[in-house]
Amino acid sequence: MAAQIVMNHTGDTRHYFNAEDIVALSKAEARFKKLTGAGFTAALRDADGKTTVTRTFDPTAEETLFFPRLIGG
Amino acid sequence: MFGQYLLSAPHNLRRLWAEGARRVRAVRERRKTIEEFRKARGIRLLREWLSPEQQAQFDAFRHFDVIGCDTGSRYRIRHGTQTNIHEIDAEGHPIAGWCFIPSGPLVAGDVMLAQKIALETNERAALAIANRFAVVRR
Repeated sequence: MAAQIVMNHTGDTRHYFNAEDIVALSKAEARFKKLTGAGFTAALRDADGKTTVTRTFDPTAEETLFFPRLIGG
Repeated sequence: MFGQYLLSAPHNLRRLWAEGARRVRAVRERRKTIEEFRKARGIRLLREWLSPEQQAQFDAFRHFDVIGCDTGSRYRIRHGTQTNIHEIDAEGHPIAGWCFIPSGPLVAGDVMLAQKIALETNERAALAIANRFAVVRR
């Protein structure tokens, strides 16, 4: 199961989906576009734990983390 | 009838007061539980994304170090939600403080994770929006 994790006021919300299910995948892509369009940053983590930031939906990503726009504190 | 009501009024008031106080305590307890749950979720997510070295450091000291992807500078992210990033030298002494956070009401674990990812993947952009503050060497 692939997962999209969205940081929010509850800690986070996790959306799990089967990446081989076309309908689930298209919903995940729509969620990706909606969140990144709203200013969220999408981060991926590979098997070695290395983190990268992406602006395009990766249908093969096992885990994508979204965090809100950064601001000066 | 009315006399009986007057006689029992103090007792009824005390009962109502006690009931109200009990409800307020219950709401406070519930809020506290929810808040602790939120914080725990944030820390769990953070730990999932930390490297083994960072996890060990965080477990021992409640902070962890990250290397900026652009300059190679070392930053120490402390547990907290603001003014919790120190740029440190080779000996671990603070050089400067940096403050940037994800917008919205996020818990400490989430804030620290967003800060880590930003410094490790897009350091210059993170520092461009950050506020710098002076730090005191201890």
